[in-house]
Amino acid sequence: MLGPTLALLIAFFMLPIGIAAYESFFSWDLITPPRFVGGDNYRAVAAHGELVRVALRTLGYSALVVCGTMSTGLALALLLDRPGRVVAFVRASIFSAYVVSWVAVALLWMWILDPNAGIAGRVLRAFGVTQLSLLGDPRWALPTLALVGTWKLTGYAMIVFLAGLQNIPRPLQEAAALDGARALARLRYVTLPLLAPTAAFVATTTLVTSFQAFDIVRIITQGGPAGATELFVYAVYEQIFLNLSVGRASALTVVFFALLLAAAALQLRAWNVRGGSPR
Amino acid sequence: MTFWYAFGDLNRKILLERVAAFNACQSRIEVKPVHQGDYFEALAKLRTAIAADRAPTLSHVVLEVLPYLARAGVLEPLDRYDGAGSIPFIPALTQAGSFAVDPRDSVFGIPFNRSTPIVFANRHALDRGAVALPSNWEELVDVARRLMRRAANGETRWGFEVPISWWYWVAMVGQAGGRLVDDSGRVTLGGDAGERAIRFWQRLVHEEHVMRPPAGRDYQAWQSTNENFLRGGVAMIWSSTAFVRYLEDNAPFPVVAGPLPRGPVRPSVPTGGTMFVILRAAPAEEKRAAWEFLRWMCDADQVIAWSTRTGYMPVTRAAVERLNAQGFYERHPNDRVAYEQLADVDPWPWEPELFRIERDAVEPRLEAAVFAGRDAHEVMQEAREDARRPG
Repeated sequence: MLGPTLALLIAFFMLPIGIAAYESFFSWDLITPPRFVGGDNYRAVAAHGELVRVALRTLGYSALVVCGTMSTGLALALLLDRPGRVVAFVRASIFSAYVVSWVAVALLWMWILDPNAGIAGRVLRAFGVTQLSLLGDPRWALPTLALVGTWKLTGYAMIVFLAGLQNIPRPLQEAAALDGARALARLRYVTLPLLAPTAAFVATTTLVTSFQAFDIVRIITQGGPAGATELFVYAVYEQIFLNLSVGRASALTVVFFALLLAAAALQLRAWNVRGGSPR
Repeated sequence: MTFWYAFGDLNRKILLERVAAFNACQSRIEVKPVHQGDYFEALAKLRTAIAADRAPTLSHVVLEVLPYLARAGVLEPLDRYDGAGSIPFIPALTQAGSFAVDPRDSVFGIPFNRSTPIVFANRHALDRGAVALPSNWEELVDVARRLMRRAANGETRWGFEVPISWWYWVAMVGQAGGRLVDDSGRVTLGGDAGERAIRFWQRLVHEEHVMRPPAGRDYQAWQSTNENFLRGGVAMIWSSTAFVRYLEDNAPFPVVAGPLPRGPVRPSVPTGGTMFVILRAAPAEEKRAAWEFLRWMCDADQVIAWSTRTGYMPVTRAAVERLNAQGFYERHPNDRVAYEQLADVDPWPWEPELFRIERDAVEPRLEAAVFAGRDAHEVMQEAREDARRPG
């Protein structure tokens, strides 16, 4: 029974990673013969702290997107967990952003964030901020991109949290209310603990999605300004397709894989410690 | 015969009209044009297609990548084709004129859409500020200062804008007296001149506050610069002569063009745009068909139709002579700027690593210095190290 899955896993995951690991020891541009360079590609991507910066940037982006998505998704779910046509319409409107492609979302936000003609620029100017370009300033570009990612994923988080909320037995809420627990206390001691598995699911899926961020980087910033939004997947794309360096792209891929492996191991360990390991 | 091209919007429309005209004027060859995104996307696809043995017969590539593709042996030498030596190209726009290369070497690229960077300015803004186009770097600072306008609602019209991009930096390196590669073939990236060019940008952005670098990278930054200019958000820009027609046709004010200001040492501009290349692996019959199409595209009629409607430079003397005789340059003085600026062209080094140096070593450092304020000497030191390291 395990055979087909294992074959697919080997063909589409393990083999490509193995090939990338092998190619990371060569200088190769796709069309001239590869040349063995040992660990030079790893040294090159690590030079001047670039590898660490890309890794930290990707982690920072993911942290912002996961926290932003979970908090706004949960808040909206709590707010909209009630019957009514208007509420249903609002829920559908918020979720619609998740259905739209990343490319369309990126184009929409490029227009919104245009420092001169966009809504964001006008709002900033209304508050007296006249010199700030959210996508043109290296300090603001990554948080701005994370805002776009959060906006896109919030609808998804909201729907999953709504499903989680509706799975919480009503008698528990009613019993707590009869015991005198106010809304905030019920949220803290009943709702949130019972939503923990849902939150873990939302966190994991948005983390995976945010680590794979490519489209919005490619379309909105191309990794700029000054590399401030160069995330892992885009850095790999840039090395192989724009900088003509398969070896360096492969080295980045191997490092990225190792980081994800470490993150997955930590997560599994946390599950095991909490006794939440699925058996 | 398949032809991969990398134009959008107006240039795409004009090119497709030329291809359709070629297909209609004879019955032996059908050119099938395939759009492949912008220059860099098209190049990525071309390399992948070459690796997969699925390359087109004909394409066009940016200048900087020509030495690399030639060294890789994937391009067809074109000098042995019929009439290759008799096309009256403008020398500065040929492979031999655009690169510091031995003129006896094989020819791999035929000039197609060729350009130089030039200055565009809003004539109303110049008139109101009582200033002329700057002729050197110090004048550029002064003119940009005078063109700055800050409205009460916070909206700013900037004095000057240019994409923080390799092509413009190379122009400034030459103007500051440097060369990317020294006489011994060592990659120097202009040495002090490379750093001086960056410091000048830093001064315009962070000290004089007369320039806001456009957001985005590559052609998005170019597009952003053009759009800022068209909507009146900046009074003077550096852009490609390729946009002459686009800017003239879309600006709600008269557009005046001029040569890049001379730097502290000498006037200098690089050439840009692309060259036609035929892929060596294509069947011989298709390569001959591609050559026939190229010959047709180099006829004065086609060169004129292409260049006058886009803004790219006419690539043959015959076309220029005819345009002069027709009084075209009298009616369109902005088109003359790039042509006259050819006198100041610095050829590119014939360096196979040139494209990788541009993308991997230099571009990110320019941004780091201008956007993030990193020290010019430090970033160029890193760029030189990266440039000398194998790719």
